[in-house]
Amino acid sequence: MESIFNGIEKLGPAGLVLQSILVSLLGIFLLVGFIVLRRWYRARYFRRRNERTVALRSHWDEILSGKISAEDWRFDPLDCNIVESILLDSIEMSSADKLPPLLDCLRVSGLLDMRIYQARTSRGWKQRTALLTLGRTRAVEAIPALAEGLDSRLRETRIAAVRGLGRTACTEAAIPILDRILTGQFDAPERSLKNALVNCCRAHPQVLVNYVEHANGPVRELLARVLGELASPELGEELLVLAVDPLPEVRASAARALGNTNTPYGLPALHTLASDPEWFVRLRAVVALGQIENIDKIKILVRALCDANRHVRQRAAWVLARMEPQLEQILEDVVATRDDYALQSFVSELERSGAIEKIVSTFDGSDYHSDETTLMEVVTQARNQVELTGKAAAVAAGAH
Amino acid sequence: MHFLAISNDILFLYYVLSNVIYLALLIVAIVKNVRHSHRLGSQRLELMKASPFTPPITLIVPAHNEERSIVGSVGALLGLEYPSLEVIVVNDGSSDDTMEKLRQAYRLQVARILYIADIATAPLRSIYRSPLDSRLFVLDKEAAGCKADAINAGINAATSPYVCVVDADSILEKESLIRIMAGVFADPGRVIAVGGIVRVLNGSRVVNNQIEEVRLPKSAIEVMQVIEYLRAFLVGREAWAGFNMLPIISGAFGVFQRDLVMQVGGFRTHAVGEDLDLVIRMHRRLHEEHRSYHIDFIPDPTCWTEVPTDLKSLARQRARWHKGLIDTLWPNRDMLFRARYGRVGWLVLPYMWVFEFFAPIIEVVGYSTIILALISGVLSKSFFLQFLLFGYAFATLISIGAVLLEEMTFRRYSDWREVARLLIYCLFEHFPYRQLTMVWRLQGIWQYLRGDLQWRSMKRVGISTEADA
Repeated sequence: MESIFNGIEKLGPAGLVLQSILVSLLGIFLLVGFIVLRRWYRARYFRRRNERTVALRSHWDEILSGKISAEDWRFDPLDCNIVESILLDSIEMSSADKLPPLLDCLRVSGLLDMRIYQARTSRGWKQRTALLTLGRTRAVEAIPALAEGLDSRLRETRIAAVRGLGRTACTEAAIPILDRILTGQFDAPERSLKNALVNCCRAHPQVLVNYVEHANGPVRELLARVLGELASPELGEELLVLAVDPLPEVRASAARALGNTNTPYGLPALHTLASDPEWFVRLRAVVALGQIENIDKIKILVRALCDANRHVRQRAAWVLARMEPQLEQILEDVVATRDDYALQSFVSELERSGAIEKIVSTFDGSDYHSDETTLMEVVTQARNQVELTGKAAAVAAGAH
Repeated sequence: MHFLAISNDILFLYYVLSNVIYLALLIVAIVKNVRHSHRLGSQRLELMKASPFTPPITLIVPAHNEERSIVGSVGALLGLEYPSLEVIVVNDGSSDDTMEKLRQAYRLQVARILYIADIATAPLRSIYRSPLDSRLFVLDKEAAGCKADAINAGINAATSPYVCVVDADSILEKESLIRIMAGVFADPGRVIAVGGIVRVLNGSRVVNNQIEEVRLPKSAIEVMQVIEYLRAFLVGREAWAGFNMLPIISGAFGVFQRDLVMQVGGFRTHAVGEDLDLVIRMHRRLHEEHRSYHIDFIPDPTCWTEVPTDLKSLARQRARWHKGLIDTLWPNRDMLFRARYGRVGWLVLPYMWVFEFFAPIIEVVGYSTIILALISGVLSKSFFLQFLLFGYAFATLISIGAVLLEEMTFRRYSDWREVARLLIYCLFEHFPYRQLTMVWRLQGIWQYLRGDLQWRSMKRVGISTEADA
């Protein structure tokens, strides 16, 4: 049998291996050359950019006011890039009253039109950069071009358009996103959509209500989640309608919204949601109760402390353990439930928040009324029990 | 003679195939890295930090005899930029003053917090909380002799949907958590774990447990490891993750969905390579459940870690890594070439068996048979030299490719002299460092076959951290 080595060797000096060596060596030289050239080019570029930035900054007021004509810097790619970067950074940091001259400069110089044109006609990375840049301008006339980006067949481009629209933070920018997701066919990461909608609808969350009503399934859940984040007291009864929605995720979002609004009608609705058949709806309701300032919530939370679900119990304990002036009363209520799990969760959370020492010292400093002595004993027993339960669980688990 | 000819043919094919795979991985990694660095240009971390949808995360820090660095490390972790953070330090039965140092620095108080051991661990002695920072909890547990047990205890106590495991002696960059979570935000429904890059800390200047200036280490053995880490992370992991076949997320820095880790039973206690083992078991479970998922690698969130500075420690580490590899591959051998495990069973696991596990054995057999063939005249001297030169040139090309990737994307080594040193060391990495690594890996196989699964400690110089003036 003839070896492969011999076969290759027969190719002679111009054989495969020799060629491979040459190709590899050439590859090495090319890579090293590329690294050296790239380093040199970048160092030169940054030095030049630095010099031009100083020069442009020293005439910034004239550029902004138009005393220095846009033609003087617009057609030099480096100058144009520097001015655009400074303008966009300034727009992002500016309050509404300082925005008009910056936007005027973008418009008058044609930078905005250039980006709109790129967003519409370019492809790939250039288009995505244009879309994100347009979002940073916060200019209303950029919205149609950004909306067109939502219809791209490339997912990356659609994401850039969503993010761009989100960055404009205009309510008008939410409409193209909402229209498309309502179809149920729009494919973009949920998180990008949620963030964009939160940014756009912050000032007018009412926009979302109409869309939630017409949406179904996962889209309805997504919109409800955004609404839950932005809810304001003005939304009122719309939130109560969502609290009885057939979709558990929507009810959970309604609970979150009710927590954010902190209105008087919130407590009865949260009371109902705290007894929901779905554990995560009950959990959200308990979290929301933590945000509401109403002493009547204690009873609901103590009941939630006896919930069958561990997460709900823990969260109820978390909320209760942070209601400092009422801790003694809450402790009595928890003891009265005669639920060991509830008591252990509560005591454990008091430990976590550091409030347990205060409670113990309160009992220590009192005149030893019989009831308080009993309560003190119960707390001590519960603390020991928590410790034992943890250790026993660990030992039992370790024995497997 | 006949045997030598066949053996040489097999070796030749093996060598060509492995180089083709490396080259393919390098090309995929370059494309992916360049795309990622483009994407980073538009990533606004401040928006992620401010977003109400950013999920909470628990950092789990297993610590065993870390008295020298633990206080500074925990301080640095608490200083990480992330909106909703919980830090759980697990003191794994340290015999030094680790616990005492923590107790003093953070005025720890016993907290009888309900601890439910969903994953079996060695018994807990106590749970502590810090009145100075409500985000910090310390679990003091009895030693189980393995890091996995400590991590499992931390997972049991964690309250966030995501957990991030970090070594106590490593340094995370301030924005690394939010950067690594960007991988999760991209598709929270599918991305169940994300790994970040681990870089070599040796030689860099550290102030208040934060990297102040990135420098290359001085000794050759450490610089070689810098190149190895760059190649392993920027080329290997980046490329495998691109095909959703990432077999490992480094135990020094990785984020996992807590529920999923619990479902697979946590980190396997006494596994030698617990990080590799966990990821393979996650692949197994998710394939068995026919779930759509992605295990990703993101190259910009950085964890800096100390690497061995002496040959003895390096030998131990490499032997342990190889033992970890066998210890994972063997129990999961039933996944090989099974349709239900998809590309993990058909590509990545066979690759790991053939080009990782068997590599040192094949290499040593190769050296022997080629020398024998040379002596017996089956192979001509000129061809042997040509082949040797090709092997050397190609391996150097791959190493320089890794340095190029670093240059094109993250450029942590900003001084040109450092890059020049890296390039020069690329030329010397393949002799005799590569052969030494082969010997250490063979030692690992031998130790595993003898049942020696002990964790041998590594000699650490310690992070020389300067206090801020």
